[in-house]
Amino acid sequence: MAAMRARHKIRAPRRGVSHANTEDFDSIWTVLASSLTEINTKNASTLAFEEIYRHAYKIVLMMRAPDLYEQVKQLEQDWLKTNVRTLIIDSISSSLVRAKKSTDAQDQSSERREAGEKFLTVLKDAWEDHQLGMGMVTDVLMYMDRMVASRTHPPIYVACMALFRDHILRAPVRAGSALTVMDVLESTILFMIQLERSGHIIERPLIRHCIQMLEGLYETATEEESSKLYLTEFEPAFLRTSKKFYQAEGQRLLEMGDAATFCRLATQRIAEEEERCRYMLSITTEPKVLELLDEQLIRSNIEEVVNLEGTGVRRMLDHDQLEGLRNVYMLNKRVDQKKQALTKLVNTRIVEMGKEINASSVLLPQAPAPSAEKDSKGEKKPEKGKDKEKPQNQQTVSAIGWVDDILSLKRKFDDIWEKAFASDQGMQASIGASFANFINMNSRNSEYLSLFFDENLKKGIKGKTESEVDVLLDNGITLLRYIKDKDLFETYYKKHLSRRLLMKRSVSMDAERQMISKMKLEVGNQFTQRIESMFKDMTISEDLTTNYKEDIARSGDPDQKPVDLEINVLTSTMWPMEIMASKEGTAQLPCIFPREIDTLKQSFERFYLDKHSGRKLSWQASMGTGDLRATFVRPNGKAQRYELNVSTYAMVILLLFNDVPDGEGLTYDEIKTRTRIQDHDLIRNLQSLAVAPKTRVLKKDPMSKDVKPTDRFLFNHEFHSPFVKVRIGVVSGGANKVENQDQRKVTEKKMNDERNGTIEAAIVRIMKQRKTLTHSQLMTETLSQLSARFVPDVNMIKRRIESLIDREYLERVSEEPPTYGYVA
Amino acid sequence: MAQSTESEFVTLVSNDGFEFIIPRSAACVSSTIRLRLASSKYKEGSTGRCNLDELRGAVLEKVCEYFCYNEKHKDQVNVPDMDIPPELCLELLMAADYLDT
Repeated sequence: MAAMRARHKIRAPRRGVSHANTEDFDSIWTVLASSLTEINTKNASTLAFEEIYRHAYKIVLMMRAPDLYEQVKQLEQDWLKTNVRTLIIDSISSSLVRAKKSTDAQDQSSERREAGEKFLTVLKDAWEDHQLGMGMVTDVLMYMDRMVASRTHPPIYVACMALFRDHILRAPVRAGSALTVMDVLESTILFMIQLERSGHIIERPLIRHCIQMLEGLYETATEEESSKLYLTEFEPAFLRTSKKFYQAEGQRLLEMGDAATFCRLATQRIAEEEERCRYMLSITTEPKVLELLDEQLIRSNIEEVVNLEGTGVRRMLDHDQLEGLRNVYMLNKRVDQKKQALTKLVNTRIVEMGKEINASSVLLPQAPAPSAEKDSKGEKKPEKGKDKEKPQNQQTVSAIGWVDDILSLKRKFDDIWEKAFASDQGMQASIGASFANFINMNSRNSEYLSLFFDENLKKGIKGKTESEVDVLLDNGITLLRYIKDKDLFETYYKKHLSRRLLMKRSVSMDAERQMISKMKLEVGNQFTQRIESMFKDMTISEDLTTNYKEDIARSGDPDQKPVDLEINVLTSTMWPMEIMASKEGTAQLPCIFPREIDTLKQSFERFYLDKHSGRKLSWQASMGTGDLRATFVRPNGKAQRYELNVSTYAMVILLLFNDVPDGEGLTYDEIKTRTRIQDHDLIRNLQSLAVAPKTRVLKKDPMSKDVKPTDRFLFNHEFHSPFVKVRIGVVSGGANKVENQDQRKVTEKKMNDERNGTIEAAIVRIMKQRKTLTHSQLMTETLSQLSARFVPDVNMIKRRIESLIDREYLERVSEEPPTYGYVA
Repeated sequence: MAQSTESEFVTLVSNDGFEFIIPRSAACVSSTIRLRLASSKYKEGSTGRCNLDELRGAVLEKVCEYFCYNEKHKDQVNVPDMDIPPELCLELLMAADYLDT
């Protein structure tokens, strides 16, 4: 290796630094200068790159690079000053200069526009030439750049760009005038934009080029992003004019007084500005100008627009103007993440509409029968029973109507929410809150909703497909979600359900089960527990009935007249017993059953207690029905048989007449003593047997609508019906109806008792776990535990706490702050 | 001998008249040559022929060899060394400086 090195000496290059001398500089520069001038005049294609490059290279090798740099700068500066600037200043017509002074441009717009376009074109061409030329100069002087630029000087290209900025854009338009080319450029572009905003079509590419020029020029030689001329000079001016424009625009649109138009135009403006920034100005301006637009056009006006009388959101909501609402939503969303203005109005409107629905549900029954309404406030008089029928039916209808109305309102807003409000989460929540708000204004919401379910499960779902039923129930469940006092709903639902089950009114058990599983999902396990056990009772009872029948068949009492018994054994804690016990829990003597029934009853009791010892059966005749075969002997001696389906009480009453000789009757009092049926039930049953026109199995003497204790009842042999099977409903007993005032009071009282229990249970649960807790903490925990079922009254909780302390479940541990302790 | 701009080969000419025809992509390793050929702004752009009066044939040959070597081993690791005759070292360094390679 060493030998090799020795042989091949490293020879010095033939030309070295020492080779060059300073004398050559001037001659080489002359050649270079002429080449550069050729470039400036766009005659470069004849030049050899190599040649210029080599000249520059040589000069740099002479260590004269800084001189060359200065020379080139000087050359370019002279070129710009003498040739280019004249060209541009010549292109500025006097109209442009004038227009700068008077902002009112409309009168001379076409003239100004033409002049402006000419000026912009010239400027653009000059810029492009300069850019191209400087690009070429930079290429050939690359070697010099590498030597000089990095240290003290900016690259030659940057330097030349700065020259353009200083000697073209910053040059005064007229000698001695403060107005520079830049000012004219700015005002011209702004004027063009102004034209475009007012609907004219302008030459966008031209402006785009000029903007690009401003973007390509920097304030400083270091070329930071933020020092672009575009950002320092043009953009602020643009934003200033835009601000002014949109302030005026906002006023103008508002004065037009049409919310829909406002929103449409505003949306359009937003799109326009976006597009303008994208294609004409700079992307970076887009957020700024939009921000400004939001501020000026939308934020300061949106509230007024939303509330605009006659055309605002209210009208849009009422007329389902989805397009308009969508626009409002979009605009409001731009300026306010919470969309307060819109949300507020939507909420008010929902509550308003909801109140209307509430009001109409009250008004409807009042209008046709004001007198009956008055009665319902007073004590319930037996004589009025019949009259009460109608308003109560109407109330039921109106209750269902109320639910229907709310559902359709809900559908309407769901639709709007989905289509116009882009399924916005916040909006959904607030719409829901508004619904809950007005629904809870109606104190009878739970009852109405339960009636709605009742109605649908009884009749409504007949002939509907499964999915339709599903939707229907889902709708109802949605409302349930809004109801605060879910326990009240449970009470009503149980009551209505028990009627449906016992009277076999339910159309489809599947639908019932579906309903319960839906409720379970929505409100929770605890809520449906009791309802489910009601179903269980029903199934067990079915088995029981079959078992009993088998048992009877086996033991076989052939001589006994077989009476079919279908029995429902109900767990008393699970079923709403108040519907069976007729009046406020006064211990009533069970009614006396006729002999046939009594033996049956005893035989079943034996059977049942055999199986489940230690249980007590109490018979609820008021809920049952019986089928009778009755023979009516016509005056002509013919016998006509009918099968009567009547309530248990009616059956008991009718069976009495078996023992009464023909032509004789029983008085009300006689019937009463012999059956021990309560007045209330007895009257109703007698009414349906003797007063209702189609089912007059008994004759009443004297014939009148009301049943009085002195009335006499006879078996009516003239009873006539087109059907063999006759169903005799009990007046006002069978159907689930809106409760009257008294009943509601009872329900409420029950409710309160039940709530007291629930609250106490919750308090004890909490205290057992926490041992000691301050009053306020206990309050919050209790409230949060119970909120799923109902919203308890704070005073109510306080009273419960007091009572628990009295009964020594809790104790006061400290007074400041009030703290309780759990007593184990 | 003149080649059109679209051609994928370019001709490099040394000061003593040697001509080297190499792929355009390889030659463009040198930013000087790349700029020279990039557009038809200058004469070389349209002819695809570059006179390199600063370089003699032997040096330009080595330079062209390097261009091709560089092209061949682009994006590779563990590339074998290129053989550089010591007597050409200084001149090659200057050429590299000149060509900005």
